[in-house]
Amino acid sequence: MTISSTGSGTTSSTGSRATPADPGVTQIAKTGYTRLDIPHEPDFARMRREVGARLHAAMAEQGVDAVVLLGNGNVTYATGISWPLADAGLSHVERPVAVVLSGDEHPHLFLPFREGAAMESGLPEDHMHGPVYLEFDEGVAKFATILAGLIPAGATVATDELTGAMRRAGGALFPSAPVDAGPVIGAAKLVKTIDQIACIRRACEITEVAVGEIQRSLAPGARQIDLSAEFVRRTFELGATTNMFDSIWQVMPASKAEGTWTTTGDLALPLLTTERELAQGDVLWTDVSIAYHGYCSDHGRTWIVGQDPTPAQQRQFDRWRHIVDEVLAVTKAGATCGDLGRAATAAAGGEKPWLPHFYLGHGIGTSAAEMPMIGTDLGQKWDDEFAFPAGMLLVLEPLVWEDGTGGYRGEEIVVVTEGGWMPLTAYSYDPYEVTDGN
Amino acid sequence: MGTEIEADGPALRFSRRERALAQMEAHDLDALVLGRQANVRYISGAPQLWVVGTRPFGPICEFVRETGEIHLNSTWDEGIPAEIPHENLYGFAWNPMTLVGILQNIKGAETFRRVGTDALTPMFAQLLPMAFPNAELVDAEQAMQAARRIKTPEEVAALRNALVIAEKGLAAGVAALSAGTNEKALAGTILEAEAAGGVSTPATQDAAWVTSKQHPWRRAEGDGRVRDGDLVVLSAGVLADGYVAEVARTLVVGEPTEAVTALYRRRDELWDRLVAACRPGATTSTLLDAYQQAGEALPAMPVAHGLGLGFDPPVVSPGLRATAETDVLEQGMVLALTAYVWEQGVGAVLTRDAVLITAEGAEILSTVPAYGEAVSG
Repeated sequence: MTISSTGSGTTSSTGSRATPADPGVTQIAKTGYTRLDIPHEPDFARMRREVGARLHAAMAEQGVDAVVLLGNGNVTYATGISWPLADAGLSHVERPVAVVLSGDEHPHLFLPFREGAAMESGLPEDHMHGPVYLEFDEGVAKFATILAGLIPAGATVATDELTGAMRRAGGALFPSAPVDAGPVIGAAKLVKTIDQIACIRRACEITEVAVGEIQRSLAPGARQIDLSAEFVRRTFELGATTNMFDSIWQVMPASKAEGTWTTTGDLALPLLTTERELAQGDVLWTDVSIAYHGYCSDHGRTWIVGQDPTPAQQRQFDRWRHIVDEVLAVTKAGATCGDLGRAATAAAGGEKPWLPHFYLGHGIGTSAAEMPMIGTDLGQKWDDEFAFPAGMLLVLEPLVWEDGTGGYRGEEIVVVTEGGWMPLTAYSYDPYEVTDGN
Repeated sequence: MGTEIEADGPALRFSRRERALAQMEAHDLDALVLGRQANVRYISGAPQLWVVGTRPFGPICEFVRETGEIHLNSTWDEGIPAEIPHENLYGFAWNPMTLVGILQNIKGAETFRRVGTDALTPMFAQLLPMAFPNAELVDAEQAMQAARRIKTPEEVAALRNALVIAEKGLAAGVAALSAGTNEKALAGTILEAEAAGGVSTPATQDAAWVTSKQHPWRRAEGDGRVRDGDLVVLSAGVLADGYVAEVARTLVVGEPTEAVTALYRRRDELWDRLVAACRPGATTSTLLDAYQQAGEALPAMPVAHGLGLGFDPPVVSPGLRATAETDVLEQGMVLALTAYVWEQGVGAVLTRDAVLITAEGAEILSTVPAYGEAVSG
């Protein structure tokens, strides 16, 4: 799978500095810190326009004339609509479908209108259609008739999913075999517009307010699932559209050997939340995500239940912040995944500070994790050839581990800029102490 | 859910696999390569991290007909049943070629003649033949739907458990409903109660909305605030131990007017007709006919859909009329049945319940009280 980067970003830089009062990563890293002009309120009309332009540019570059999108995240991306997403088991039957045509600035949108869903799409009426049921032969036959009227003969069509009924329809649906929409969508998604960044920042703010309240009331005896309950209520009250995954409040084992068996011999993460009661001294690795207008937050920190870190635990955090500092020092437009991986590994003393089944970092957008992934089985060559454009987002999530401490893991979201990075995460490291500035 | 992550019980696991094997036989499939959450759970019996929404196809679970072997994408063994040994687990992969390598190593991969996948991407359509060089790639979703269509007794029990949690969510929403609150706060309350009840994985998050007095099924436009006289839908959906439960009720805020009472009466009449239509042997189009016989317009959503580990067949929608005319209700199906009525200037009343098709007709599985709705005598 190759995702190519496309040109420079749509963000601009004003180069001002963080104030000492900012919580979060600017307390531990400064090299390359940039401030961008991100609007407080996203302008959804501008977002749709600019995203549409990016998508059409990627289609033109890859010789694709029409894109048929079924995946929730891809439809959100291409059309700008958002709705409270349903469970995977429900969402493949009643789902919006988008058709993007070269030469038409507006996508066509086929809406299921599950219940009373509100869909402010900003699309012209003749681009809004009723639901299509692509799991069923009857539904695909109807869709084929509609597509035949939209897509000219001989066009190169890309799609992100072929349902069984679509496969059975064969040439009646797609006269020639469709190509994979992944590379087109991936290329378009890579650089975020300022309004997409504004959405993600708002999602992060909502997440941080909710998480802050949970952390302040965290006490022995609380069940993991109670934290999930409070998180979902509070984030919805604050404007979240969707809870993206089952919130993680993983109690770390005393040692790797005592932890859950894994295919890699390393730590298991993420393990599922249960009704387990938290005990004094439990070290939790947290990981939560919500969407605001279709764009995701991703938040992770390490907490200790009911007590302050021991000196050994504090040293874990100190090692982690050193890694983050060193990684951010090389983060800027033009840097590669390989550059960040090497900086992280060097700062960790030669060992990769991420789990073998995961990554040092990943992108974020309409999914909580999207391309690029840093340090995966895609391989060193892939990492070294993937250069960051300005305006790309990264979630950095290194971790450190020493038996007996619970380790430290945290997540930091940054926008890659021409000269460095701008943070979107602004959450403290309590109960760990940031002992001195860098 | 308890404090341990555990595999689904043996009776549930084995009864489902037996149904799947019968369909593999009927559809002449040597192996399944599954990517959809519901199918993966159906075959593996293992809980996995819940992520909302559709996901791109990838090989998550493989099931071989001849050997009964299951391979599963899981980096750890927590919640993995004993019959899936460690050597059959494989971790997350970002490089599709890693996955191709894993599939190549499945015992018998080179001899499979027909391999079914439950969805596909153009990329995996290119790559899977590298793993199964002698196989024709075909659709497996039809076989899986046929397997999932009828619930085993263990599945019905799982659905009943899921409904208990959904009903708790609904009850919390009802308690929080009053003029001055808003849709988001109500949704948050419902989702919070579901999680506190033990299920932090909602099937639906579109949990509360003010119905439109102007449009037959769009929600009221505006700030989401709940006002006196509004008809407000509260809809609770959970995914508990893999099974989807959905219940929905509509409540009037304040004292019901005569027009509101009349609308509830229409709902009652429609509901009675829908329940009466739930007989084994009837085509599912009788549910669409029930709307017409009651004089109600068909809503723009399925009026019924199978419940199980997600949407199961049948899906009964005005958009799939021809399908409904040949699709037959059978004993052991569980439906989420929806009555929906709307009146200009008043709003909409939506009621949804889980219904088990039995030899005698419909058994309503949920035990949601009337919640002071205006119900006709």
